[in-house]
Amino acid sequence: MSKGKEKEQVLVRYGISRREREKFLANMISPEGKPEVLDGVVVLDASYANFSGIIAASLFAEFGAEVIKIEPTEGDPSRKITPYGANVNGVGIPFIMEARNKRYLTLDVRTAKGRRDFEKLAAKADVLIETFPAGQMDSWGIGYRQLSQANPGLVYIAITPYGQYTDKAKEFRNLPDSDITSQAASGLAANIGDPDISPEPYNWPFRAGAWIGWYISGLEAALGGAMALVYKEATDEGQMIDVATADAYASLVGYPVFIGYTWEKARPRLGRHDFTLYPYGFWKSKDGIVAIAAPRDHDFRALLKILKLWKIEDDWRFTFDRITDILEQIEKLYGLIEAETVKYTSDELIKKALEYSIKSARSKWRGGGVPIIMKVPKPSEAMINPHWTIRKTFQEFDDKKLGKFVIPANFIKMSESPPRVKWISCDIGQDNDYIRKKYLSD
Amino acid sequence: MEDYFDYTKKLFDPSKIKEKPEVFNGIKVLDFSHVIFGPIAARLLAQYGAEVFKIEMPFVGDLWRFGVYWGKFWKHSSVCFHFVHYNKNFLSVNLKLPKGKELIYKLVEQADVVVENFAAGTAEAWGVGYSQLSEINPKIIYLSCATYGQYGPLRFFPGWDLLAQAASGAISLTGYPGTDKYYKLPDYLGDYFPGNVGALALVMALYHRKKTGRGQYIDLAQSEALMRILPNFTYFSITNEELERVGNTDPTMAPSGIFKSRDGKFVALAVATEEQFKALSSAMGQKKLATEYKDGFERLKPENASRLYDIAQEWVSKKESAEIVNLAKEHGFPVAEVMDDFQIANDEWRRERGSVIVFKDDMYREFVLPGPSAMLSKTPGRVKWLSRPLGYHNRYVLKTFFRLSEEEIKKLEKERVIGYWDDRPGIKPPVYYDIEKDPVFNYQGDGGKQSP
Repeated sequence: MSKGKEKEQVLVRYGISRREREKFLANMISPEGKPEVLDGVVVLDASYANFSGIIAASLFAEFGAEVIKIEPTEGDPSRKITPYGANVNGVGIPFIMEARNKRYLTLDVRTAKGRRDFEKLAAKADVLIETFPAGQMDSWGIGYRQLSQANPGLVYIAITPYGQYTDKAKEFRNLPDSDITSQAASGLAANIGDPDISPEPYNWPFRAGAWIGWYISGLEAALGGAMALVYKEATDEGQMIDVATADAYASLVGYPVFIGYTWEKARPRLGRHDFTLYPYGFWKSKDGIVAIAAPRDHDFRALLKILKLWKIEDDWRFTFDRITDILEQIEKLYGLIEAETVKYTSDELIKKALEYSIKSARSKWRGGGVPIIMKVPKPSEAMINPHWTIRKTFQEFDDKKLGKFVIPANFIKMSESPPRVKWISCDIGQDNDYIRKKYLSD
Repeated sequence: MEDYFDYTKKLFDPSKIKEKPEVFNGIKVLDFSHVIFGPIAARLLAQYGAEVFKIEMPFVGDLWRFGVYWGKFWKHSSVCFHFVHYNKNFLSVNLKLPKGKELIYKLVEQADVVVENFAAGTAEAWGVGYSQLSEINPKIIYLSCATYGQYGPLRFFPGWDLLAQAASGAISLTGYPGTDKYYKLPDYLGDYFPGNVGALALVMALYHRKKTGRGQYIDLAQSEALMRILPNFTYFSITNEELERVGNTDPTMAPSGIFKSRDGKFVALAVATEEQFKALSSAMGQKKLATEYKDGFERLKPENASRLYDIAQEWVSKKESAEIVNLAKEHGFPVAEVMDDFQIANDEWRRERGSVIVFKDDMYREFVLPGPSAMLSKTPGRVKWLSRPLGYHNRYVLKTFFRLSEEEIKKLEKERVIGYWDDRPGIKPPVYYDIEKDPVFNYQGDGGKQSP
């Protein structure tokens, strides 16, 4: 086939020309001059020592809502929840990272005066987020039951470990929330860690190294809140949303629940192996670790070819040969693969897989397989990767109090009303005048 | 005044869910996506009332129909597939044939949302990309899901949840430092979390359309969604140090960890604030600790955190787990027992709350699946039916939605424009089920030519 014809075919394959598509997508990157979805929506964030609430508020703020973070004069204790105590002028790193487009107001709901102001604010708000013990706000006279009288359109989001109803919620109402307890209670910790045969404590349940519990809870709170706003737009009615962080993981992925039911037992921990797909995990390379996914039979065959392991194909040919229920057996295959991967650097492995995939995608015979290999970058490497630079995944800020720093942002690209981060600053009470003038002057 | 918990019990009563309105009533979703990342976004809309049409290739079907644990099918189906696909209409149309495409384009005219998660550009190549579908219906909201997104040098790289976990760096945080132990996040969290982010984007886009009448295109990269939740980039930019694997603890809280109690159970314990630290110190009978470490930042420094970790571990190992939970309730510091799959599936609290649902399905009978962690009091989500065999809703949709007659449908079947299952588990009905008598699969409705 001539060069020109080949090129033409590529264009046909993508429906419109590549350039056209790239141009359209490139235009989409920039949020400049585009409207914001939640323009005019007012969100009160009264969460206290709980990042689920702060995260939910961030998501609303990124979509353009006016988010007012309410904290006592000494500040929300969340300011001090940070890896190894790292902070900038008394503000911890997660708090900086989530200080997206927010207003900061000092107001103490524990005092009668604070509650009077709070009531006035809530009368004008669309969404309220709080993480106090279940029933606490209600006993102060500023719960959903009371606030919805004056403002029937209020979307009231409450986040606690065990929720707002049921006997257990009542019994555990004073139990504070944290990420690790959310992970443990919702089935995540039980499914990470080495298998039984490993020595203690490696065979214990294990915590995922990021705030999975809190981020799931924050995301689900925002998702529920966004749906409630859609309903409000149609009916002018608000509602109450009850988030239980002890449900976070099990409700998101479902596995603990339906495996617990259909198997009538808990899964054992499998260490580095997966339950459904194999090979699907991490292997050592000469200079680090790589992720390898080649679970479908044709992907697996391709992997064996590029690792020059074809001689073992006969033993491991089908998915059912590679089921991970016999640990010794799958460890053996793990070792066979590892003996080859350590011979190459991560980049060499990626190149091998990519070259094969391109060849197999171009071949008429579609059974070629796509072995996928990817290296695990350090944060410093990821931040300079041109792919993320072009996509503006990381955004740099320079605040007079917080100095220079980078946050992961722009994680949803939308052509009409993209979310965006406009500023980051989080001085205690920095917007007191603005908020009091705008919402509390009458 | 009525007791708060009596009030909330009525407000959220799970037995009243069926009587409550649905927020996405009347919203139509076209779901071209497969495996988990895309389908879960469409399913979240289905859970809250949208009508979702799941499009699959005849006689092939979604890859995840075969995504089963340790090779075990349940009633000839995959349990995970049920969770990702409940409340959907299963339409099996061959997009490669012009007639199949015609059907889809007709559906697009009336659809509100489209979801796909092929490799970047593939949907365009098949004639169902945003550039083509927005010509047919400019108000369409179109969500493209991919591991690396739709533009940028890595866009053609294929991906699974694992690759997103790698590329985002999520994996580099989970494991024991100083060993070769890395753990991936289990259960395809790298698909589910970004999928829920996709649902958030869709809901926001629907809200925007309600206000302005305009549809839009959404490009969601699952790696970016995972990067959004990692602190290590900001940490690096401020401290110039890379956050490494943190071990079985939370470095933002001290003490914190998962410990073994005297009765051999595992207990997660954490202290997030000074107040909670005081509470733990007094529960442990070591009040002087609270005076020793007054400042939160000080407490979190590695040397102090590791000392407190040892103290907490020692304390937990000498107590029964129930004792610790009681002390935590009484004094006020975060504690939770580690719950495994079986405990969660059978947890009374979850069943009462509705976050674990015992569902009776017409085809699969009893099934237990999770409800949401965020309960909505007025427009709650609900399960109406589980997933169905390949092409199960063909006849129903073609008759009620397209108003085709029996003869026209038979012709489409003969031309293989639409199709069904073969004998493989995962795409066929359960053995005990008499599909010939199924009123939906064999939909007899008038299907005449009258307009909808």
